[in-house]
Amino acid sequence: MAEQHNTHSKAQEEHEEHIGIPGYLVIFGILVVGTILTYFVATIDLDWIFPGANTLVALLIAFTKMTFVVLYFMHVRWQSRLIWLTALSGFFWLAIMFAFIMQDYLTRTSGTFTN
Amino acid sequence: MQNVDAIDSGYAEKPVNYLTNGYTVKSWLLTKDHKRIAIMYLIVVSIFFMMGGLYAATIRLELLTPQSDLLQSGTYNKVFTQHGILMIFFFLIPSIPAILGNFLIPIMIGAKDLAFPKVNLLSWYLYMIGGALTLWALMQGGVDTGWTFYTPYSTTFSNSYVMAVGLGIFINGFSSILTGLNFIVTIHTMRAPGMTWFRMPLFVWAHYATSLIMILGTPVIAITILLLAIERLAQIGIFDPAIGGDPILFQHLFWFYSHPAVYIMILPGMGVISELISNFSRKKIFGYEFIAFSSIAIAVFGFLVWGHHMFVSGQSTYAGLVFSFLTMVVAVPSAIKMFNWTATLYKGSILFDTPMLYALGFMGLFLIGGLTGLFLGSMGLVVHLTDTYFVVAHFHYVMVGGQVIAYLGGIHYWWSKMTGKMYSEFWGKISAMLVFVGFNLTFFPQFILGYQGMPRRYASYPEEFQVLNIFSTAGASVLGVGLVMPVVYLAHSLIWGKDAPANPWLLPGLEWRTASPPPTENFEETPIVTWEAYDFTEESGLDLEDARNKYKVTV
Amino acid sequence: MAHAVDTHEHHYHPPGLQHQFEDMKQQEESVSIGMWVFLVQEIMFFGGLFTVYLVFRSRFPMAFAAGSNHLDAFWGGLNTLVLIVSSLTMALTVYYAQKGNRNMQVILIILTMFFGTVFLGVKAIEYTDKYNHGTVPVDGWNKRIPEGGTQHSSPAEHSTLTLPFETKASAADAEPHESEAVHPNPQGRFRIEDKDLELVKQAQEGNYLTGSEKIGYFSNGQGSLPNGQIDEAKFRDKVRIFFWIYFVMTGLHALHMIIGLGVMLWLLWRAWLGSYTAEYFSPVETAGLYWHFVDIVWIFLFPLLYLLGRHFLHGGGH
Repeated sequence: MAEQHNTHSKAQEEHEEHIGIPGYLVIFGILVVGTILTYFVATIDLDWIFPGANTLVALLIAFTKMTFVVLYFMHVRWQSRLIWLTALSGFFWLAIMFAFIMQDYLTRTSGTFTN
Repeated sequence: MQNVDAIDSGYAEKPVNYLTNGYTVKSWLLTKDHKRIAIMYLIVVSIFFMMGGLYAATIRLELLTPQSDLLQSGTYNKVFTQHGILMIFFFLIPSIPAILGNFLIPIMIGAKDLAFPKVNLLSWYLYMIGGALTLWALMQGGVDTGWTFYTPYSTTFSNSYVMAVGLGIFINGFSSILTGLNFIVTIHTMRAPGMTWFRMPLFVWAHYATSLIMILGTPVIAITILLLAIERLAQIGIFDPAIGGDPILFQHLFWFYSHPAVYIMILPGMGVISELISNFSRKKIFGYEFIAFSSIAIAVFGFLVWGHHMFVSGQSTYAGLVFSFLTMVVAVPSAIKMFNWTATLYKGSILFDTPMLYALGFMGLFLIGGLTGLFLGSMGLVVHLTDTYFVVAHFHYVMVGGQVIAYLGGIHYWWSKMTGKMYSEFWGKISAMLVFVGFNLTFFPQFILGYQGMPRRYASYPEEFQVLNIFSTAGASVLGVGLVMPVVYLAHSLIWGKDAPANPWLLPGLEWRTASPPPTENFEETPIVTWEAYDFTEESGLDLEDARNKYKVTV
Repeated sequence: MAHAVDTHEHHYHPPGLQHQFEDMKQQEESVSIGMWVFLVQEIMFFGGLFTVYLVFRSRFPMAFAAGSNHLDAFWGGLNTLVLIVSSLTMALTVYYAQKGNRNMQVILIILTMFFGTVFLGVKAIEYTDKYNHGTVPVDGWNKRIPEGGTQHSSPAEHSTLTLPFETKASAADAEPHESEAVHPNPQGRFRIEDKDLELVKQAQEGNYLTGSEKIGYFSNGQGSLPNGQIDEAKFRDKVRIFFWIYFVMTGLHALHMIIGLGVMLWLLWRAWLGSYTAEYFSPVETAGLYWHFVDIVWIFLFPLLYLLGRHFLHGGGH
């Protein structure tokens, strides 16, 4: 039983070394910057690049913010591979749902997206 | 964990087991013991099964004659809808996982209980609440949309209790999700020392794969039903083409879960069959890793094929092509299992006890059901067969011929472990054979009917289909008798059955190394596992001499 | 032969160890995996809604842009920042729980709950705003404004009451953040404005309407004509779909927020009692995972709902 205590507190110590209060504040700063950035980029018309560019940029910023929250606030950076796999599989399944449903709509011959 | 009640009640000679560890209603309704929760599920699931069966009997009675004379069309719509809802959501999906899975998984991996016993109890209560709400709605007048709730009929035009039934199913869905969550965590973290992933029984692998589907798929049906309920209330028309809504979107979201749901139904059944085939051939299962990985493959690929329910709905031809191809692919892991089970039987010492009869029946019937699924997965043929009795026959072959038979096999196999009593083998064999004969007589004619063009969900039909319908109804009566008989002789065994030994068939599995019924903590001492799964040699600690004498077998 | 470990030996029971687990490490691992599996199912739950959004937005982008422009991105952005701050305080709560610092834990949980409540408060303001401006998608569920220009409004809404001789323009000036006139709405119907139709006209001229839009905003084949007449009722139905999605998605999110506050309340009580120490803090970590997840959902909801159509407004702002 004693060994288990030691292993546990060792893991704790590793935990603490990785990010302290300054670290959390840095991540917080990144998230705030991301929010402000997305707010202002949304007002600039980027559709001359390609239609939907605005949305793509907004999603990229959102994904980046999410990644920081997941890795640092949710501590996934220091978790086992099983946790990584679990988190990734959730998003992968979401991607399956989006992709397979949209492949129906995008391949319709008339009406939906075609002009 | 001394139990004073057990001593006072005169059971002093028998060791305290999970059934005798407390006799109050509170000790059952507030139990955290996975075995008691399993028994509570057994009782309510059986009740729902019988209600679904009564609806089925009504359908078959109506279909004896070509006219809609027993029931009006509107009532008939309610009857087949409710048959589907009760059977799918309240029987097929929970049955094996919630009863056999709950009871056996901790024991099979050498744990004291599931990872989250209170969450397990919550699952049962959610099932009860969802079931109660659904039953109330059925009594108020029921629902007539088909269990598939297609829009815009269900959102805009149906005058039945769609919201109430929908909410009942929604709540029940969370029961399923929590069970899946519990199983996944338990299998990852609670295995006894020495119980590696590849020493686990295939029953556990099957439930792990099932749990993956429960977690990933059930929330989607939950949100879909919620949207359906909100739509009924608000009438925005999001699924109504008249204002730009999209009925096919509903179907996509619905089938995204409901196709994987059929794998939730069958995978645990396949897990049971792996146990039965191996143990009743007294032979190590052939291709353990293949069967284990094929379960995971079915779980993953099962999410990629839902469009095969929508070939004629208006989805694009190219999407249909993708889904059709993947449907052919998803059949492969199931076929792998069938080949491995057959190879296990080869040169095995086969015992034709009741559970084995069910297992052999499964193999034949699931084969037919699975192959006819391929017919329905091919786009050209499906245009002719959609919404005919061919589809009805196909899914009953896999669901009843597959899942229900596996469920019955499992209940019989582990009956002695769960209750500590032996049922009558004679009556067991008789009813297994009645089920097999009755089932085929009921559903084989339906393949022919469907091919000839008889549509499903109709109370009346053209006269030329009557003869086959009469065969079908006759078969249903035999099937009904075969399904009621176990209720009788199993209940009889509870009171007058012989006491069961811990290991009646002398099998190597971990569940057979503890008493029948097991103590509350499952094992007197936590086992340390040093042998492989299905190990019929002395390595596993089996007394082979005893087995040879008792069963006159060569192993 | 099977060897066994005696489970009845007396050993030190760490506080909070549940009977089905062998030791704390197994319990913590189980709880952690359990919460992540739960979050995966939450991802799929919200995912269904994002799918509905995806499909309808792809079909009716202009209606979505128009609807989005009715939402106040300022409040939405503020809410995003509020949630991010609450995520920070939550992460710090876990940090201090690990250190066994009871007082800091309690303070930070209270702060987290405070910001969560602020979020809900802002949502309430937003929803009320929708009610007042007739953008609740169900007819009859909006504020009923009788004919004649006068309206009975609560003091919080306007600094002065509009009087019969005031023009619509000056009445609008009294409102701090909306430039639309106050049209009568006697039956509390869902309604849109001319500026929304402007977006469709723009798209029509620039020829970037989708096939669905050509059918969906026009009647009788008008959509394929270069100067086809927009059918306002049909267009309004599509904007209504946007608002339905808005209310369902943010409503479900707010419900999760409320549940989160309930969890925080329980956590606050346990933290106050000093239950969480360096040895046993996994409930704090687990609750934190849920809270961060709710934050992440909002991180996606904000740009997708609020910022869609801003680039159509030639310089943004409202």
